[in-house]
Amino acid sequence: MKSLGSIRSDFAPWLDKSAVPFIRFEGVTKRFGSFEAVDDLSLSIYEGEFFALLGASGCGKSTLLRMLAGFEAPSEGRIILDGEDLAGIPPYRRPVNMMFQSYALFPHMSVAKNIAFGLKQEGMAKADIAERVEQVLKLVKLEDYAKRKPDQLSGGQRQRVALARSLAKRPKVLLLDEPLGALDKKLREETQFELADLQNQLGTTFIMVTHDQEEAMTLACRIAVMDKGQILQVATPTEIYEAPNSRFVADFVGNVNVFEGTVRSVNGECITIETTAGLDIAAKSEAPVTAGDNVAYVLRPEKLKIAVEPIGGPNVMEGEVWDIAYFGPVTSFHIRLDNGMIVKVAMVNATREGPLQLTWHDRVFVQFDEDAGLVMTV
Amino acid sequence: MTWRLSKFNVVSMVFGFTFLYLPILLLVIYSFNASRLVTVWAGFSTVWYRELWNNRGLLDAAWVTLKVGLLSATIATVLGTMAAIALSRYKRFHGRTLMTGMVYAPLVMPEVITGLSLLLLFVALDLNRGFVTVTLAHISFTMCFVTVVVQSRLTSFDRSLEDAAMDLGATPTVTFFKVTLPLIWPAVAAGWMLAFTLSIDDLVIASFTTGPGATTLPMKIYSQVRLGVTPEINAVCTILIAIVSTGVVIAALINKRRLVREARNERMAAMG
Repeated sequence: MKSLGSIRSDFAPWLDKSAVPFIRFEGVTKRFGSFEAVDDLSLSIYEGEFFALLGASGCGKSTLLRMLAGFEAPSEGRIILDGEDLAGIPPYRRPVNMMFQSYALFPHMSVAKNIAFGLKQEGMAKADIAERVEQVLKLVKLEDYAKRKPDQLSGGQRQRVALARSLAKRPKVLLLDEPLGALDKKLREETQFELADLQNQLGTTFIMVTHDQEEAMTLACRIAVMDKGQILQVATPTEIYEAPNSRFVADFVGNVNVFEGTVRSVNGECITIETTAGLDIAAKSEAPVTAGDNVAYVLRPEKLKIAVEPIGGPNVMEGEVWDIAYFGPVTSFHIRLDNGMIVKVAMVNATREGPLQLTWHDRVFVQFDEDAGLVMTV
Repeated sequence: MTWRLSKFNVVSMVFGFTFLYLPILLLVIYSFNASRLVTVWAGFSTVWYRELWNNRGLLDAAWVTLKVGLLSATIATVLGTMAAIALSRYKRFHGRTLMTGMVYAPLVMPEVITGLSLLLLFVALDLNRGFVTVTLAHISFTMCFVTVVVQSRLTSFDRSLEDAAMDLGATPTVTFFKVTLPLIWPAVAAGWMLAFTLSIDDLVIASFTTGPGATTLPMKIYSQVRLGVTPEINAVCTILIAIVSTGVVIAALINKRRLVREARNERMAAMG
């Protein structure tokens, strides 16, 4: 596959055919009564990965995490961790630890006691426990808070204590259930980078569950997009964004314009699509298509250009500014094309004046290249 | 909140408190009466408290009551807490609705019926009536109160705390004693207090289920009153009232201290 996005990474064990997965879900199904929370799911996760399970609520991602932690048993299939089948092993004997969405800090214990709890269960010596507690508190920069009770801490500090507690036992795998969900936006952005650094530093395998695509994109090496108990795509954040394998994934992660139509002509990888709205689109298709196929051309808003004067290049369309949303770094335009279709265009505000002085109902030209979007067979 | 007392409020408050506390107040006052006649005031004296100390019958009954109360409240608390946990944890087992109903039934069951049915059971089992049977009877009728109190605490209990404990390597038993119990402790203690109070002032069920040598204080008082109220009875009742009020005041103080501490912690958290 050609390289996508602007990030290059050397860590990619999933591309290595000889690499042995650290965690394997093999045909795992979980039923609650007649409801299938997880449906015949298979997945491999490699050692040292920061893996994200992304999906809307009720898609089965949390159930998957809870099965790995041992709180739920699969109805069918196997879960293998580091060569060991986890079936029948209770949560308190699994080499995984979890950071809970609510943090689940023991309110009757101090920060230090919370962190020491797991180590005590191991029967670790007192002096070693004290040392380890100090070490992990340092890791999350909370050395001065050891004696505080959880309700004497702010939300961000509680999050760090929860993280420290789940890391204290040095688990083989750390499970994170919506780790940043309870933080406000500013704090969440800061914590994202800290969490990623921490994972890098420790090299522990992290598996995160989130409904926030931005969080998944920032933190994870690979993302599994889930819906209705099934995995739709497992890929790096850039692949998920730039090469989604389905309309659902494209739509779930980020914004898209979708042009539906039929292939009219094929010339190598260059094709022409006649859309149902009566437009002709020149596109490049990675997937093999033949004339007459029903396809969708999926296009991210930032891949389009807007101009006030007529511009050259393929796929020029004329329309009217229908709506404007100013976000600060980018401005999002809704352009109503002359055939009535609305396309979304995002423009970076690279200068303080903004690239164009547009207002509602201005006449504009919209243009995109043949390879700006993705051809998907329906 | 604005505090405005209308005439109606003042009047209803006075009536309410009078209705509730005047009889008790009279009883306390007359326990310090120097006269043997209960209704004639003849000056302040603590003679009846000294008399009480020499009344073996009343003291024995008080001792029996205390033993029955402590033992039955403790066992009822253990059983009641277990029932509460089972009912709030296992949402889907056969007969859950039936069990819930059956746990709550004694709350509304007339005491006479409870007492009579327990008596019939003990007779059928050929148990000698006495200390053991009255204790068993008290366990069975106070248990449901403990269950109600503990269960209401468990509904607001964050289950992920137990998950977290197990995730960190604690077995279910350790989890219960190190995490669950310390957190529901106030409710368990309140349940115990309730069971203890119910046990020490129960007359009806005790009358049905007790036997020779295990007369409880309420039974003793009741039987003595039938022969005429003596100031000693007033004295013993005053002591009971003192014990109960001390308990209530201590509970209120503990609660107040907790609220103050929570408020302080919140400020501390806000300051970072």
